[in-house]
Amino acid sequence: MGDSFWSVVVQQIVNGVSLGAVYALIAVGFALVFNVLKFSNFSHGGVLAISAYVGYFAALKLHLSLIPVLLVGTLAGGLIACGVEFVAFRSIRKKRGQLVYFFVTSVTMLMLLEQVLVIFFGASFFTYPRLISLTTLTIGQVSISVLYVLMMVASAIAFGVLAWALRFTRVGIAIRAASNDLITTNLMGVNVDFIVLATFFVSGLLAGLSGVLLGMSYTLYPQIGQLVVKGFIASVLGGLGSLVGAALGALALGVVEVLLISVMGSGLSPAVIFAMMVIFLLVRPQGFAGVSFQEKA
Amino acid sequence: MSYFITVGVFTAITTLGVLGTFVLTGLTGLFSLGQAAFMGLGAYVAALAVVTFHVPFPLALVLAVVVAVGVGYVIGFTTLKIRQDFFALATFGFGEAVRAVMNESVKWTGGAMGFAGVPRLTTPLLALVSLVAGIWLVRNVRGSKFGRDCLAVRTDELAAEVMGINAFDHKLKVFLLGAGLSAFAGALMAFFTTYVEPAMFGWMQSAVWIIMVFFGGRDSLTGAIVGAASLSALPEILRFASQWRVAIYTLIILLIINFRPAGLFGRWELSFETLGLKRSGPGPGRRLPGHAAEKGGAGADE
Repeated sequence: MGDSFWSVVVQQIVNGVSLGAVYALIAVGFALVFNVLKFSNFSHGGVLAISAYVGYFAALKLHLSLIPVLLVGTLAGGLIACGVEFVAFRSIRKKRGQLVYFFVTSVTMLMLLEQVLVIFFGASFFTYPRLISLTTLTIGQVSISVLYVLMMVASAIAFGVLAWALRFTRVGIAIRAASNDLITTNLMGVNVDFIVLATFFVSGLLAGLSGVLLGMSYTLYPQIGQLVVKGFIASVLGGLGSLVGAALGALALGVVEVLLISVMGSGLSPAVIFAMMVIFLLVRPQGFAGVSFQEKA
Repeated sequence: MSYFITVGVFTAITTLGVLGTFVLTGLTGLFSLGQAAFMGLGAYVAALAVVTFHVPFPLALVLAVVVAVGVGYVIGFTTLKIRQDFFALATFGFGEAVRAVMNESVKWTGGAMGFAGVPRLTTPLLALVSLVAGIWLVRNVRGSKFGRDCLAVRTDELAAEVMGINAFDHKLKVFLLGAGLSAFAGALMAFFTTYVEPAMFGWMQSAVWIIMVFFGGRDSLTGAIVGAASLSALPEILRFASQWRVAIYTLIILLIINFRPAGLFGRWELSFETLGLKRSGPGPGRRLPGHAAEKGGAGADE
Protein backbone atom coordinates (compact mmCIF):
# COMPACT_ATOMS: atom_id res chain seq x y z
CA MET A 1 0.00 0.00 0.00
CA GLY A 2 1.00 3.60 0.39
CA ASP A 3 3.33 4.94 -2.21
CA SER A 4 3.31 2.01 -4.59
CA PHE A 5 -0.48 1.74 -4.39
CA TRP A 6 -0.91 5.33 -5.54
CA SER A 7 1.63 5.01 -8.30
CA VAL A 8 -0.36 2.03 -9.62
CA VAL A 9 -3.56 4.08 -9.49
CA VAL A 10 -1.95 7.02 -11.25
CA GLN A 11 -0.49 4.64 -13.82
CA GLN A 12 -3.95 3.17 -14.52
CA ILE A 13 -5.51 6.61 -14.75
CA VAL A 14 -2.90 7.65 -17.30
CA ASN A 15 -3.65 4.50 -19.30
CA GLY A 16 -7.35 5.19 -18.96
CA VAL A 17 -7.02 8.74 -20.19
CA SER A 18 -5.13 7.64 -23.28
CA LEU A 19 -7.78 5.01 -24.05
CA GLY A 20 -10.46 7.59 -23.28
CA ALA A 21 -8.84 10.02 -25.70
CA VAL A 22 -9.51 7.60 -28.56
CA TYR A 23 -13.02 6.89 -27.26
CA ALA A 24 -13.51 10.66 -27.26
CA LEU A 25 -12.70 10.77 -30.99
CA ILE A 26 -15.40 8.16 -31.60
CA ALA A 27 -17.87 9.83 -29.26
CA VAL A 28 -17.50 13.32 -30.71
CA GLY A 29 -17.86 12.00 -34.26
CA PHE A 30 -20.96 10.13 -33.15
CA ALA A 31 -22.35 13.20 -31.38
CA LEU A 32 -21.76 15.51 -34.37
CA VAL A 33 -24.18 13.54 -36.52
CA PHE A 34 -26.56 13.09 -33.61
CA ASN A 35 -26.70 16.83 -33.07
CA VAL A 36 -27.68 17.59 -36.64
CA LEU A 37 -29.94 14.67 -37.53
CA LYS A 38 -30.94 13.51 -34.00
CA PHE A 39 -30.32 9.82 -34.47
CA SER A 40 -27.72 7.39 -33.14
CA ASN A 41 -25.48 6.71 -36.09
CA PHE A 42 -24.06 3.23 -35.70
CA SER A 43 -22.67 3.23 -39.24
CA HIS A 44 -19.95 5.40 -37.71
CA GLY A 45 -18.39 2.11 -36.58
CA GLY A 46 -18.31 0.77 -40.12
CA VAL A 47 -16.51 3.91 -41.30
CA LEU A 48 -14.05 3.48 -38.45
CA ALA A 49 -13.36 -0.15 -39.40
CA ILE A 50 -12.82 0.49 -43.11
CA SER A 51 -10.49 3.43 -42.45
CA ALA A 52 -8.50 1.28 -40.06
CA TYR A 53 -8.01 -1.22 -42.90
CA VAL A 54 -7.14 1.57 -45.34
CA GLY A 55 -4.49 2.79 -42.93
CA TYR A 56 -3.16 -0.74 -42.55
CA PHE A 57 -2.76 -1.26 -46.27
CA ALA A 58 -1.29 2.19 -46.73
CA ALA A 59 1.36 1.26 -44.19
CA LEU A 60 1.92 -2.24 -45.53
CA LYS A 61 1.82 -1.78 -49.30
CA LEU A 62 2.83 1.84 -49.77
CA HIS A 63 5.35 1.76 -46.90
CA LEU A 64 4.13 5.09 -45.60
CA SER A 65 5.40 6.30 -42.27
CA LEU A 66 3.35 7.18 -39.23
CA ILE A 67 2.03 10.66 -40.01
CA PRO A 68 1.02 9.90 -43.64
CA VAL A 69 -0.74 6.72 -42.49
CA LEU A 70 -2.74 8.69 -39.94
CA LEU A 71 -3.62 11.30 -42.56
CA VAL A 72 -4.60 8.72 -45.18
CA GLY A 73 -6.80 6.84 -42.71
CA THR A 74 -8.42 10.06 -41.51
CA LEU A 75 -9.14 11.28 -45.01
CA ALA A 76 -10.48 7.87 -46.02
CA GLY A 77 -12.89 8.01 -43.09
CA GLY A 78 -14.21 11.37 -44.20
CA LEU A 79 -14.77 10.20 -47.76
CA ILE A 80 -16.42 6.93 -46.74
CA ALA A 81 -18.75 8.75 -44.36
CA CYS A 82 -19.78 11.04 -47.24
CA GLY A 83 -20.49 7.97 -49.33
CA VAL A 84 -22.58 6.48 -46.53
CA GLU A 85 -24.58 9.68 -46.20
CA PHE A 86 -25.16 9.79 -49.92
CA VAL A 87 -26.18 6.15 -50.27
CA ALA A 88 -28.03 5.45 -47.05
CA PHE A 89 -29.37 8.58 -45.40
CA ARG A 90 -29.99 11.16 -48.10
CA SER A 91 -33.17 9.76 -49.56
CA ILE A 92 -34.68 9.13 -46.12
CA ARG A 93 -33.96 12.73 -45.21
CA LYS A 94 -35.45 14.01 -48.45
CA LYS A 95 -38.61 12.06 -47.77
CA ARG A 96 -38.67 13.38 -44.20
CA GLY A 97 -38.69 9.85 -42.88
CA GLN A 98 -38.97 9.18 -39.19
CA LEU A 99 -35.90 8.96 -36.99
CA VAL A 100 -36.34 5.23 -36.57
CA TYR A 101 -35.58 4.68 -40.25
CA PHE A 102 -32.27 6.47 -39.86
CA PHE A 103 -31.48 4.29 -36.88
CA VAL A 104 -32.35 1.03 -38.62
CA THR A 105 -30.42 2.08 -41.73
CA SER A 106 -27.37 2.99 -39.69
CA VAL A 107 -27.25 -0.43 -38.01
CA THR A 108 -27.70 -2.08 -41.39
CA MET A 109 -24.85 -0.02 -42.85
CA LEU A 110 -22.62 -1.11 -39.97
CA MET A 111 -23.34 -4.74 -40.80
CA LEU A 112 -22.80 -4.13 -44.51
CA LEU A 113 -19.47 -2.36 -44.09
CA GLU A 114 -18.29 -5.08 -41.70
CA GLN A 115 -19.29 -7.69 -44.22
CA VAL A 116 -17.46 -5.90 -47.03
CA LEU A 117 -14.30 -6.29 -44.96
CA VAL A 118 -15.03 -9.98 -44.38
CA ILE A 119 -15.57 -10.55 -48.10
CA PHE A 120 -12.36 -8.88 -49.19
CA PHE A 121 -9.99 -9.64 -46.34
CA GLY A 122 -11.53 -12.60 -44.54
CA ALA A 123 -12.43 -12.80 -40.89
CA SER A 124 -8.79 -13.08 -39.83
CA PHE A 125 -6.81 -10.73 -37.66
CA PHE A 126 -4.18 -8.32 -38.96
CA THR A 127 -1.46 -6.51 -37.08
CA TYR A 128 -0.26 -3.09 -38.13
CA PRO A 129 3.37 -2.95 -39.16
CA ARG A 130 5.47 -1.21 -36.54
CA LEU A 131 5.18 2.52 -37.22
CA ILE A 132 6.17 3.78 -33.84
CA SER A 133 8.76 2.70 -31.33
CA LEU A 134 7.54 0.39 -28.62
CA THR A 135 9.53 2.08 -25.89
CA THR A 136 7.93 3.70 -22.90
CA LEU A 137 8.60 7.08 -21.38
CA THR A 138 9.00 7.22 -17.63
CA ILE A 139 7.93 10.24 -15.67
CA GLY A 140 8.46 9.77 -11.96
CA GLN A 141 7.02 6.35 -11.19
CA VAL A 142 4.60 6.42 -14.07
CA SER A 143 5.56 4.94 -17.39
CA ILE A 144 3.63 5.55 -20.54
CA SER A 145 4.10 3.92 -23.92
CA VAL A 146 4.87 6.10 -26.92
CA LEU A 147 1.71 4.79 -28.57
CA TYR A 148 -0.42 6.13 -25.72
CA VAL A 149 1.32 9.50 -26.00
CA LEU A 150 0.53 9.45 -29.71
CA MET A 151 -3.12 8.67 -28.97
CA MET A 152 -3.40 11.62 -26.63
CA VAL A 153 -1.50 14.05 -28.86
CA ALA A 154 -3.44 13.05 -31.98
CA SER A 155 -6.77 13.45 -30.19
CA ALA A 156 -5.74 16.80 -28.76
CA ILE A 157 -4.73 18.09 -32.20
CA ALA A 158 -7.94 16.77 -33.76
CA PHE A 159 -10.08 18.43 -31.11
CA GLY A 160 -8.16 21.68 -31.40
CA VAL A 161 -8.72 21.80 -35.15
CA LEU A 162 -12.37 20.81 -34.72
CA ALA A 163 -13.02 23.49 -32.12
CA TRP A 164 -11.40 26.09 -34.33
CA ALA A 165 -13.37 24.95 -37.40
CA LEU A 166 -16.70 24.89 -35.60
CA ARG A 167 -16.13 28.31 -34.15
CA PHE A 168 -14.58 30.27 -36.96
CA THR A 169 -15.22 28.76 -40.37
CA ARG A 170 -18.40 29.35 -42.35
CA VAL A 171 -19.12 25.65 -42.64
CA GLY A 172 -18.48 25.14 -38.93
CA ILE A 173 -20.87 27.91 -37.99
CA ALA A 174 -23.45 26.43 -40.34
CA ILE A 175 -23.00 23.00 -38.72
CA ARG A 176 -23.66 24.54 -35.32
CA ALA A 177 -26.71 26.33 -36.66
CA ALA A 178 -27.97 23.08 -38.18
CA SER A 179 -27.49 21.34 -34.81
CA ASN A 180 -29.76 23.92 -33.35
CA ASP A 181 -32.50 23.77 -35.92
CA LEU A 182 -32.11 22.21 -39.34
CA ILE A 183 -35.24 23.69 -40.88
CA THR A 184 -34.60 27.25 -39.79
CA THR A 185 -31.02 26.95 -41.01
CA ASN A 186 -32.42 26.02 -44.38
CA LEU A 187 -34.78 28.99 -44.30
CA MET A 188 -31.82 31.27 -43.63
CA GLY A 189 -30.48 30.32 -47.03
CA VAL A 190 -27.94 27.71 -45.99
CA ASN A 191 -27.59 24.74 -48.31
CA VAL A 192 -28.60 22.04 -45.86
CA ASP A 193 -27.66 19.16 -48.14
CA PHE A 194 -24.12 20.44 -48.21
CA ILE A 195 -24.03 21.03 -44.46
CA VAL A 196 -25.25 17.52 -43.69
CA LEU A 197 -22.64 16.14 -46.07
CA ALA A 198 -20.00 18.29 -44.37
CA THR A 199 -21.10 17.04 -40.95
CA PHE A 200 -20.71 13.47 -42.09
CA PHE A 201 -17.31 14.32 -43.57
CA VAL A 202 -16.04 15.82 -40.32
CA SER A 203 -17.52 12.98 -38.29
CA GLY A 204 -15.90 10.54 -40.72
CA LEU A 205 -12.51 12.22 -40.31
CA LEU A 206 -12.73 11.58 -36.57
CA ALA A 207 -13.85 8.00 -37.20
CA GLY A 208 -10.91 7.47 -39.54
CA LEU A 209 -8.38 8.81 -37.07
CA SER A 210 -9.80 6.74 -34.22
CA GLY A 211 -9.86 3.70 -36.50
CA VAL A 212 -6.16 3.92 -37.32
CA LEU A 213 -5.24 4.56 -33.67
CA LEU A 214 -7.34 1.63 -32.46
CA GLY A 215 -5.93 -0.58 -35.20
CA MET A 216 -2.42 0.28 -34.07
CA SER A 217 -3.08 -0.39 -30.40
CA TYR A 218 -5.22 -3.52 -30.82
CA THR A 219 -5.33 -5.92 -33.73
CA LEU A 220 -7.39 -5.37 -36.83
CA TYR A 221 -10.51 -7.48 -37.43
CA PRO A 222 -13.78 -6.79 -39.25
CA GLN A 223 -15.79 -6.33 -36.05
CA ILE A 224 -13.49 -3.58 -34.78
CA GLY A 225 -16.22 -1.14 -35.79
CA GLN A 226 -18.42 -2.39 -32.98
CA LEU A 227 -16.27 -0.24 -30.72
CA VAL A 228 -18.67 2.47 -31.86
CA VAL A 229 -20.76 1.49 -28.85
CA LYS A 230 -18.07 3.13 -26.69
CA GLY A 231 -18.89 6.37 -28.46
CA PHE A 232 -22.59 5.69 -28.01
CA ILE A 233 -22.20 5.12 -24.26
CA ALA A 234 -19.92 8.15 -23.86
CA SER A 235 -22.14 10.53 -25.77
CA VAL A 236 -25.27 9.50 -23.89
CA LEU A 237 -23.50 9.71 -20.53
CA GLY A 238 -21.98 13.02 -21.53
CA GLY A 239 -25.36 14.47 -22.30
CA LEU A 240 -26.76 14.20 -25.81
CA GLY A 241 -26.38 17.42 -27.70
CA SER A 242 -23.05 18.42 -26.22
CA LEU A 243 -19.73 17.71 -27.93
CA VAL A 244 -17.72 18.64 -24.82
CA GLY A 245 -19.96 16.37 -22.77
CA ALA A 246 -19.33 13.51 -25.18
CA ALA A 247 -15.57 13.99 -24.88
CA LEU A 248 -15.74 14.12 -21.09
CA GLY A 249 -17.96 11.07 -21.01
CA ALA A 250 -15.43 9.22 -23.16
CA LEU A 251 -12.53 10.12 -20.88
CA ALA A 252 -14.51 8.98 -17.84
CA LEU A 253 -15.45 5.76 -19.59
CA GLY A 254 -11.84 5.05 -20.52
CA VAL A 255 -10.59 5.63 -16.98
CA VAL A 256 -13.39 3.58 -15.38
CA GLU A 257 -12.84 0.71 -17.83
CA VAL A 258 -9.11 0.55 -17.23
CA LEU A 259 -9.50 0.79 -13.45
CA LEU A 260 -12.18 -1.91 -13.37
CA ILE A 261 -10.18 -4.24 -15.58
CA SER A 262 -7.13 -3.84 -13.35
CA VAL A 263 -9.20 -4.55 -10.24
CA MET A 264 -11.51 -7.34 -11.36
CA GLY A 265 -10.37 -8.46 -14.80
CA SER A 266 -12.10 -7.90 -18.10
CA GLY A 267 -14.73 -10.58 -17.53
CA LEU A 268 -17.29 -9.09 -15.20
CA SER A 269 -16.47 -5.42 -15.76
CA PRO A 270 -19.32 -4.95 -18.32
CA ALA A 271 -21.78 -5.91 -15.58
CA VAL A 272 -20.31 -3.33 -13.20
CA ILE A 273 -20.20 -0.66 -15.91
CA PHE A 274 -23.86 -1.36 -16.60
CA ALA A 275 -24.80 -0.96 -12.95
CA MET A 276 -22.84 2.29 -12.74
CA MET A 277 -24.46 3.53 -15.93
CA VAL A 278 -28.00 2.90 -14.67
CA ILE A 279 -27.24 4.63 -11.37
CA PHE A 280 -25.68 7.56 -13.18
CA LEU A 281 -28.68 7.92 -15.50
CA LEU A 282 -31.02 7.89 -12.51
CA VAL A 283 -29.05 10.46 -10.57
CA ARG A 284 -28.16 12.75 -13.43
CA PRO A 285 -30.33 12.05 -16.49
CA GLN A 286 -29.11 15.18 -18.26
CA GLY A 287 -25.58 13.78 -18.45
CA PHE A 288 -22.24 15.33 -17.52
CA ALA A 289 -22.68 18.48 -19.53
CA GLY A 290 -26.15 19.15 -18.28
CA VAL A 291 -27.56 20.40 -21.57
CA SER A 292 -29.94 17.66 -22.45
CA PHE A 293 -31.24 17.67 -25.96
CA GLN A 294 -34.95 18.41 -25.95
CA GLU A 295 -37.43 16.72 -28.18
CA LYS A 296 -39.92 19.20 -29.50
CA ALA A 297 -43.43 18.42 -28.39
CA MET B 1 -34.87 -34.94 -38.01
CA SER B 2 -34.74 -33.71 -41.55
CA TYR B 3 -32.97 -30.54 -42.53
CA PHE B 4 -36.14 -28.70 -43.44
CA ILE B 5 -37.87 -29.45 -40.17
CA THR B 6 -34.79 -28.27 -38.28
CA VAL B 7 -34.69 -25.02 -40.20
CA GLY B 8 -38.45 -24.69 -39.74
CA VAL B 9 -38.35 -25.12 -35.97
CA PHE B 10 -35.40 -22.79 -35.69
CA THR B 11 -37.25 -20.18 -37.71
CA ALA B 12 -40.42 -20.58 -35.62
CA ILE B 13 -38.49 -20.07 -32.38
CA THR B 14 -36.63 -17.05 -33.74
CA THR B 15 -39.91 -15.56 -34.94
CA LEU B 16 -41.35 -15.97 -31.47
CA GLY B 17 -38.35 -14.11 -30.05
CA VAL B 18 -38.70 -11.36 -32.64
CA LEU B 19 -42.34 -10.94 -31.59
CA GLY B 20 -40.87 -9.54 -28.37
CA THR B 21 -39.13 -6.82 -30.37
CA PHE B 22 -42.27 -6.34 -32.45
CA VAL B 23 -44.53 -5.55 -29.50
CA LEU B 24 -41.98 -3.21 -27.97
CA THR B 25 -41.01 -1.31 -31.11
CA GLY B 26 -44.38 -1.61 -32.81
CA LEU B 27 -46.50 -0.53 -29.87
CA THR B 28 -44.30 1.96 -28.05
CA GLY B 29 -41.60 2.94 -30.55
CA LEU B 30 -38.86 2.03 -28.06
CA PHE B 31 -35.68 0.27 -29.08
CA SER B 32 -34.24 -2.46 -26.97
CA LEU B 33 -30.65 -3.41 -27.73
CA GLY B 34 -30.97 -6.09 -25.05
CA GLN B 35 -33.93 -8.04 -26.42
CA ALA B 36 -31.74 -10.95 -27.46
CA ALA B 37 -30.28 -10.94 -23.95
CA PHE B 38 -33.75 -11.75 -22.64
CA MET B 39 -33.73 -14.69 -24.99
CA GLY B 40 -30.37 -15.68 -23.56
CA LEU B 41 -31.62 -15.24 -20.02
CA GLY B 42 -34.59 -17.50 -20.75
CA ALA B 43 -32.36 -20.09 -22.39
CA TYR B 44 -29.89 -20.22 -19.52
CA VAL B 45 -32.48 -20.15 -16.73
CA ALA B 46 -34.47 -22.99 -18.27
CA ALA B 47 -31.38 -25.02 -19.11
CA LEU B 48 -29.93 -24.57 -15.62
CA ALA B 49 -33.24 -25.43 -14.01
CA VAL B 50 -33.59 -28.71 -15.88
CA VAL B 51 -29.98 -29.86 -16.08
CA THR B 52 -28.65 -28.75 -12.70
CA PHE B 53 -31.73 -28.61 -10.51
CA HIS B 54 -33.83 -31.31 -12.19
CA VAL B 55 -36.89 -29.10 -12.45
CA PRO B 56 -39.56 -30.56 -14.78
CA PHE B 57 -39.44 -29.11 -18.31
CA PRO B 58 -42.82 -27.27 -18.31
CA LEU B 59 -42.00 -25.65 -14.98
CA ALA B 60 -38.60 -24.60 -16.32
CA LEU B 61 -40.31 -22.81 -19.21
CA VAL B 62 -42.49 -20.91 -16.75
CA LEU B 63 -39.46 -20.14 -14.59
CA ALA B 64 -37.59 -18.70 -17.58
CA VAL B 65 -40.44 -16.29 -18.30
CA VAL B 66 -40.83 -15.32 -14.64
CA VAL B 67 -37.12 -14.54 -14.20
CA ALA B 68 -37.00 -12.51 -17.42
CA VAL B 69 -40.10 -10.52 -16.49
CA GLY B 70 -38.68 -9.89 -13.01
CA VAL B 71 -35.37 -8.64 -14.39
CA GLY B 72 -37.23 -6.66 -17.04
CA TYR B 73 -39.28 -4.98 -14.32
CA VAL B 74 -36.17 -3.70 -12.57
CA ILE B 75 -34.68 -2.34 -15.80
CA GLY B 76 -37.93 -0.92 -17.11
CA PHE B 77 -38.89 0.68 -13.84
CA THR B 78 -35.57 2.48 -13.53
CA THR B 79 -35.06 3.57 -17.14
CA LEU B 80 -38.42 4.00 -18.86
CA LYS B 81 -39.04 7.35 -17.20
CA ILE B 82 -36.06 8.97 -18.85
CA ARG B 83 -35.34 9.66 -22.47
CA GLN B 84 -35.67 7.05 -25.16
CA ASP B 85 -31.97 7.04 -26.04
CA PHE B 86 -31.20 6.29 -22.41
CA PHE B 87 -33.54 3.34 -22.55
CA ALA B 88 -31.73 2.04 -25.63
CA LEU B 89 -28.42 2.52 -23.81
CA ALA B 90 -29.67 0.89 -20.62
CA THR B 91 -30.95 -2.16 -22.49
CA PHE B 92 -27.65 -2.34 -24.33
CA GLY B 93 -25.76 -2.26 -21.04
CA PHE B 94 -28.09 -4.86 -19.62
CA GLY B 95 -27.44 -7.16 -22.58
CA GLU B 96 -23.69 -6.87 -22.23
CA ALA B 97 -23.94 -7.38 -18.47
CA VAL B 98 -25.96 -10.57 -18.95
CA ARG B 99 -23.37 -11.83 -21.40
CA ALA B 100 -20.55 -10.98 -19.02
CA VAL B 101 -22.21 -12.91 -16.22
CA MET B 102 -22.81 -15.90 -18.51
CA ASN B 103 -19.20 -15.81 -19.61
CA GLU B 104 -17.82 -15.53 -16.11
CA SER B 105 -19.91 -17.97 -14.11
CA VAL B 106 -18.05 -20.87 -15.67
CA LYS B 107 -19.01 -23.26 -12.90
CA TRP B 108 -22.72 -22.91 -13.65
CA THR B 109 -22.93 -22.03 -17.31
CA GLY B 110 -19.76 -23.35 -18.89
CA GLY B 111 -18.65 -19.78 -19.62
CA ALA B 112 -17.69 -18.84 -23.15
CA MET B 113 -17.46 -22.53 -24.05
CA GLY B 114 -21.23 -22.65 -23.90
CA PHE B 115 -23.77 -24.70 -22.02
CA ALA B 116 -23.88 -28.15 -23.57
CA GLY B 117 -25.80 -31.29 -22.78
CA VAL B 118 -29.27 -29.79 -22.61
CA PRO B 119 -31.81 -32.53 -23.44
CA ARG B 120 -33.78 -32.06 -26.65
CA LEU B 121 -37.28 -31.59 -25.28
CA THR B 122 -38.63 -29.01 -27.74
CA THR B 123 -40.59 -30.92 -30.35
CA PRO B 124 -41.54 -29.32 -33.69
CA LEU B 125 -45.16 -29.44 -32.52
CA LEU B 126 -44.37 -27.56 -29.31
CA ALA B 127 -42.48 -24.88 -31.26
CA LEU B 128 -45.35 -24.49 -33.70
CA VAL B 129 -48.03 -24.34 -31.00
CA SER B 130 -45.96 -21.79 -29.05
CA LEU B 131 -45.56 -19.62 -32.12
CA VAL B 132 -49.28 -19.72 -32.89
CA ALA B 133 -50.13 -18.93 -29.28
CA GLY B 134 -47.63 -16.08 -29.29
CA ILE B 135 -49.07 -14.62 -32.49
CA TRP B 136 -52.59 -14.94 -31.11
CA LEU B 137 -51.57 -13.17 -27.91
CA VAL B 138 -49.82 -10.31 -29.70
CA ARG B 139 -52.69 -9.89 -32.13
CA ASN B 140 -55.22 -9.58 -29.32
CA VAL B 141 -53.06 -7.21 -27.29
CA ARG B 142 -52.65 -4.94 -30.31
CA GLY B 143 -56.38 -4.90 -30.96
CA SER B 144 -57.36 -4.30 -27.35
CA LYS B 145 -57.96 -0.92 -25.76
CA PHE B 146 -54.59 -1.30 -24.09
CA GLY B 147 -52.85 -1.78 -27.44
CA ARG B 148 -54.57 1.19 -29.01
CA ASP B 149 -53.64 3.31 -26.03
CA CYS B 150 -50.03 2.24 -26.53
CA LEU B 151 -50.17 3.37 -30.16
CA ALA B 152 -51.43 6.71 -28.93
CA VAL B 153 -48.40 6.93 -26.66
CA ARG B 154 -46.10 6.04 -29.55
CA THR B 155 -47.65 8.63 -31.81
CA ASP B 156 -47.64 11.49 -29.35
CA GLU B 157 -46.78 10.82 -25.75
CA LEU B 158 -47.79 14.24 -24.49
CA ALA B 159 -51.20 14.14 -26.16
CA ALA B 160 -51.81 10.61 -24.91
CA GLU B 161 -51.01 11.62 -21.34
CA VAL B 162 -53.37 14.56 -21.61
CA MET B 163 -56.08 12.07 -22.58
CA GLY B 164 -55.45 10.21 -19.36
CA ILE B 165 -53.17 7.42 -20.56
CA ASN B 166 -50.34 6.60 -18.18
CA ALA B 167 -47.48 6.41 -20.70
CA PHE B 168 -44.92 5.00 -18.28
CA ASP B 169 -47.24 2.26 -17.13
CA HIS B 170 -48.09 1.26 -20.70
CA LYS B 171 -44.47 1.22 -21.79
CA LEU B 172 -43.49 -0.89 -18.80
CA LYS B 173 -46.23 -3.45 -19.43
CA VAL B 174 -45.33 -3.75 -23.11
CA PHE B 175 -41.65 -4.08 -22.24
CA LEU B 176 -42.45 -6.92 -19.83
CA LEU B 177 -44.63 -8.65 -22.41
CA GLY B 178 -41.78 -8.45 -24.91
CA ALA B 179 -39.25 -9.71 -22.37
CA GLY B 180 -41.48 -12.66 -21.53
CA LEU B 181 -42.00 -13.62 -25.18
CA SER B 182 -38.30 -13.47 -25.97
CA ALA B 183 -37.37 -15.40 -22.84
CA PHE B 184 -39.88 -18.13 -23.65
CA ALA B 185 -38.43 -18.38 -27.14
CA GLY B 186 -34.98 -18.62 -25.58
CA ALA B 187 -36.04 -21.51 -23.35
CA LEU B 188 -37.45 -23.35 -26.36
CA MET B 189 -34.23 -22.62 -28.24
CA ALA B 190 -32.04 -24.11 -25.50
CA PHE B 191 -34.03 -27.36 -25.53
CA PHE B 192 -33.98 -27.51 -29.30
CA THR B 193 -30.35 -26.80 -30.14
CA THR B 194 -29.27 -28.60 -26.91
CA TYR B 195 -26.44 -26.10 -26.66
CA VAL B 196 -26.34 -22.40 -25.88
CA GLU B 197 -23.46 -19.97 -25.70
CA PRO B 198 -23.31 -16.31 -24.66
CA ALA B 199 -22.17 -15.14 -28.10
CA MET B 200 -25.61 -15.96 -29.54
CA PHE B 201 -27.28 -13.16 -27.59
CA GLY B 202 -25.25 -10.00 -28.21
CA TRP B 203 -26.52 -6.52 -29.01
CA MET B 204 -26.03 -7.05 -32.74
CA GLN B 205 -28.58 -9.86 -32.53
CA SER B 206 -31.06 -7.46 -30.93
CA ALA B 207 -30.31 -4.93 -33.66
CA VAL B 208 -30.91 -7.60 -36.29
CA TRP B 209 -34.31 -8.28 -34.73
CA ILE B 210 -35.22 -4.61 -35.00
CA ILE B 211 -34.19 -4.74 -38.65
CA MET B 212 -36.41 -7.79 -39.19
CA VAL B 213 -39.39 -5.97 -37.72
CA PHE B 214 -38.84 -2.94 -39.94
CA PHE B 215 -38.28 -5.14 -42.95
CA GLY B 216 -41.82 -6.48 -42.73
CA GLY B 217 -43.31 -3.30 -41.35
CA ARG B 218 -43.69 -2.43 -37.71
CA ASP B 219 -47.38 -1.63 -38.18
CA SER B 220 -48.20 -5.03 -39.54
CA LEU B 221 -48.13 -8.20 -37.47
CA THR B 222 -48.23 -10.19 -40.69
CA GLY B 223 -45.28 -8.20 -41.96
CA ALA B 224 -43.25 -8.69 -38.80
CA ILE B 225 -43.84 -12.43 -38.88
CA VAL B 226 -43.00 -12.73 -42.57
CA GLY B 227 -39.98 -10.49 -42.05
CA ALA B 228 -38.69 -12.47 -39.10
CA ALA B 229 -39.34 -15.84 -40.68
CA SER B 230 -37.89 -14.99 -44.08
CA LEU B 231 -34.86 -13.08 -42.80
CA SER B 232 -33.97 -15.77 -40.28
CA ALA B 233 -34.37 -18.47 -42.93
CA LEU B 234 -32.64 -16.38 -45.63
CA PRO B 235 -29.08 -16.97 -44.41
CA GLU B 236 -29.84 -20.70 -44.62
CA ILE B 237 -31.28 -20.41 -48.11
CA LEU B 238 -28.37 -18.27 -49.29
CA ARG B 239 -25.85 -20.65 -47.79
CA PHE B 240 -24.45 -21.40 -51.27
CA ALA B 241 -23.30 -17.78 -51.43
CA SER B 242 -21.61 -18.05 -48.00
CA GLN B 243 -19.74 -14.75 -47.51
CA TRP B 244 -22.02 -12.79 -49.74
CA ARG B 245 -25.20 -13.72 -47.96
CA VAL B 246 -24.94 -11.16 -45.17
CA ALA B 247 -24.05 -8.51 -47.72
CA ILE B 248 -27.05 -9.45 -49.86
CA TYR B 249 -29.23 -9.50 -46.76
CA THR B 250 -28.19 -6.00 -45.73
CA LEU B 251 -28.58 -4.68 -49.29
CA ILE B 252 -32.14 -6.00 -49.45
CA ILE B 253 -32.91 -4.26 -46.17
CA LEU B 254 -31.36 -0.98 -47.34
CA LEU B 255 -33.43 -1.10 -50.52
CA ILE B 256 -36.64 -1.77 -48.58
CA ILE B 257 -36.03 1.04 -46.08
CA ASN B 258 -35.13 3.48 -48.82
CA PHE B 259 -37.91 2.72 -51.22
CA ARG B 260 -40.65 1.39 -48.99
CA PRO B 261 -39.95 2.81 -45.53
CA ALA B 262 -43.16 1.53 -44.00
CA GLY B 263 -41.85 -1.99 -44.58
CA LEU B 264 -42.84 -4.61 -47.12
CA PHE B 265 -46.35 -4.93 -45.77
CA GLY B 266 -47.05 -1.40 -44.55
CA ARG B 267 -50.22 -1.74 -42.56
CA TRP B 268 -51.62 -4.70 -44.44
CA GLU B 269 -52.78 -7.62 -42.33
CA LEU B 270 -53.54 -11.14 -43.39
CA SER B 271 -57.09 -11.95 -42.37
CA PHE B 272 -60.22 -13.50 -43.78
CA GLU B 273 -61.33 -10.07 -44.96
CA THR B 274 -58.19 -9.11 -46.82
CA LEU B 275 -58.23 -12.51 -48.53
CA GLY B 276 -61.78 -11.86 -49.64
CA LEU B 277 -63.08 -14.96 -47.89
CA LYS B 278 -65.38 -13.01 -45.64
CA ARG B 279 -67.12 -9.73 -46.21
CA SER B 280 -65.78 -7.11 -43.90
CA GLY B 281 -68.44 -6.14 -41.46
CA PRO B 282 -68.81 -2.64 -40.11
CA GLY B 283 -68.90 -3.97 -36.54
CA PRO B 284 -67.05 -2.12 -33.82
CA GLY B 285 -63.62 -3.20 -32.77
CA ARG B 286 -62.73 -4.54 -36.19
CA ARG B 287 -60.37 -1.74 -36.99
CA LEU B 288 -56.81 -2.88 -36.81
CA PRO B 289 -54.41 -0.73 -34.88
CA GLY B 290 -52.00 1.54 -36.64
CA HIS B 291 -54.44 3.69 -38.57
CA ALA B 292 -53.63 6.87 -36.78
CA ALA B 293 -51.46 9.15 -38.86
CA GLU B 294 -47.97 9.10 -37.46
CA LYS B 295 -46.38 12.26 -36.22
CA GLY B 296 -43.36 13.09 -38.30
CA GLY B 297 -44.93 12.03 -41.55
CA ALA B 298 -45.18 8.27 -41.86
CA GLY B 299 -48.29 8.96 -43.92
CA ALA B 300 -46.20 10.95 -46.34
CA ASP B 301 -43.93 8.00 -46.82
CA GLU B 302 -46.41 6.14 -48.91
